[in-house]
Amino acid sequence: MAVSALTRALRAVSLTGGSCKQVFSKVSCYGGMVPEISRLSSASFLPAVNTSVCQWRGFLTSSHLEQNRTLWKQREKYTIRPIGMKKTGGRDWTGKIRTHGIGGGHKQRHRIIDFQRLRYEAGKDEKPFEERVLEVRYDPCRSADIALVAGGNRKRWIIATENMEAGDLVKSSGVIGRMAVAAKEGDAHPLGALPVGTLINNLELYPGKGAQVIRAAGTSGVLLRKVSGTAIVQLPSKHQIQVSETCVATVGRVSNIDHNKRIIGKAGRNRWLGIRPSSGLWQRKGGWAGRKIKPLPPMKSYVNKPSLASQT
Amino acid sequence: MLKTSFHRGIAIPGLEHSVRSLFEIELPSSRHGHRLLSSSSSVCGKAVPRKKPKENIEINGLEKITYAERMHYVPVLAKPIFPPWKPNHKDPLHHRSSSHEEMPLYKDKSCHVFHQRTKLTEGVKQSLWLTKSRLVKGIPAQIMALADDPSNQIENQDERVQNAIKHARFWDTTERRPERERFCPTLLNSLIYMCRLQQGKHPGLGQRLLSQDYSLSASWHRGENHIQVRGKNGMLLSSMSPLPAIAERDEVQATADTELETFYPISPTIDLQCINVYDVKTATGFSEGYRYPHGHTLFFAHLLDGHHEELRAKMVMFAFGNALARARALYGAEPQVLEKPVVLQSVGTNGRLFQFMVFQLNTTDLASDDGVKNLVWIDEDQPLYEFAKVRPLIKKKVVEVPAGLAGYNPDTFKKFLAFYLHGAV
Repeated sequence: MAVSALTRALRAVSLTGGSCKQVFSKVSCYGGMVPEISRLSSASFLPAVNTSVCQWRGFLTSSHLEQNRTLWKQREKYTIRPIGMKKTGGRDWTGKIRTHGIGGGHKQRHRIIDFQRLRYEAGKDEKPFEERVLEVRYDPCRSADIALVAGGNRKRWIIATENMEAGDLVKSSGVIGRMAVAAKEGDAHPLGALPVGTLINNLELYPGKGAQVIRAAGTSGVLLRKVSGTAIVQLPSKHQIQVSETCVATVGRVSNIDHNKRIIGKAGRNRWLGIRPSSGLWQRKGGWAGRKIKPLPPMKSYVNKPSLASQT
Repeated sequence: MLKTSFHRGIAIPGLEHSVRSLFEIELPSSRHGHRLLSSSSSVCGKAVPRKKPKENIEINGLEKITYAERMHYVPVLAKPIFPPWKPNHKDPLHHRSSSHEEMPLYKDKSCHVFHQRTKLTEGVKQSLWLTKSRLVKGIPAQIMALADDPSNQIENQDERVQNAIKHARFWDTTERRPERERFCPTLLNSLIYMCRLQQGKHPGLGQRLLSQDYSLSASWHRGENHIQVRGKNGMLLSSMSPLPAIAERDEVQATADTELETFYPISPTIDLQCINVYDVKTATGFSEGYRYPHGHTLFFAHLLDGHHEELRAKMVMFAFGNALARARALYGAEPQVLEKPVVLQSVGTNGRLFQFMVFQLNTTDLASDDGVKNLVWIDEDQPLYEFAKVRPLIKKKVVEVPAGLAGYNPDTFKKFLAFYLHGAV
């Protein structure tokens, strides 16, 4: 019924000439226009009568309200400048809590980390390059420390490895030679170029996509074996994965190795970290609780083999 | 019927629903455009996922038949897409600037620009490479001689300088303590004023003029890179006659053997703003008939605590920019080794520490890395005083630093005065 009323209104034709003003109301972002009630009736506090209904173009409800919630993470251009973050408190777009226990905490600024270590500078050749570490600092958004490295004409933030200090030179290379490279801590090489048994971190799962695993403080994976164009890596959770040998990984352990040995000490420190207390209700634990001793799941392979259709 | 935002009593029943529904446009943000026809779903705030807008598929060669000509919607035909309306009048409130490629000053080759907000990562080393210069530590002997000469001192020099410091650091505000943005320029201006008062003793000082907020532009090539210095720098003390050359011809020729320091893997143009829309020009910032064309000293007020290396790099770059603009105006735009080198002094301060610098432009042939180099003399971090505390520093009930001015160093002002008097004594 409301719909029919609306359509009737939209088809309304102007009955009288000009006393009706068409004013953009405060909901003008919708693109619709609302006629202002004639001044006479509103001034006299009589029941306001819209004596003349003017013609207007139909409501354009195509544009949506601009929401400021996630605009801080919509930046396209890379910058080393820290960006102000908006905290969500565990709430999702409906406004309800989706994840409990998140809220409050010290204000944090987000530094955009470049996880794709082998990102060549625009306009330069695709050859191995070196960068100098300018500073290693604490990052409030993650457990590991971050390092500001500069090479050529650009600066970027990367995850720092264990013994990285200001003034070091770190190399990033995409070349897989016949002989394995003498791996130096902090350098990034494809898995096919590293000797078996090296500790690695910031490992890509798909070549060129950027590091997705082994990024937390003090973690490291082990390169177990290299098999015909793929490499098998053991992750810190003891799971084993098979990835393409062109995936780039950094050598060494991630910085801030004593992160797991820290003692929170008091409830307040947890609140500073943005962790809210859990529900105090005692609940009987079910089958999910307790130590489980299970065999490791089968090795997950991230190598895309050509499909049967393309082979025939 | 639907949610009411504001309700006005309406007499005519026929129009009631239509008008009321017009005002009931309180649409919650996530459910915009969706009408919830059942009251229960509207009451419990059910969110309906938004449909994606239909994609406009364009196929080359196939022309869409639209209902534009018929002026009304026809279900079979395509929706016409009209070109965006462009007003033929200029409205500054609704101005949309064109993309970089369409701007008249767009060039394919990019240019690296240094301006007053640039902070060079490598500091003075990077500025030396960009200006093809060699560094000499310490102030040149001629200026030191002026500083040490007792006849050049002002009457009650120490007392007057200390009064100036106290005024800038303590007395200049009704609040407890003036901030750096206030005391640094105040102190600099007071010291320059004291030097200017020496015009009675040295009449040559009358042929000088202090100016600020002038826009400098200088552009040159270093190898393949096009580098420019632009913008407002600091206060410029300019004079009618140029400064005499500091280093003699032999010393200048000797610089040809030295090499410029590079810092692999960082490129020397890091931190310079790389742009494609620029104007190639070299101008001192003053027009042709200016009576004080020769730049004498540049004064910089550094409003940060620390970062002195960046201040020194800025001083070198802007001194070079001013000198290059002057040289091009005097001797033409051809790259050449200058017979009479252009000398420019520079003083930078953050309110306590002073950086003194002398720049001698020997050559405008900057494209190659070899050949005669320019010379830079730098005297770093000269404190004028150690502490100027409003409240005394007390540790464990022992006064470590008393309130007021402490640790005054008279040499720094002597150098400042020598810099000012150089060329007119």
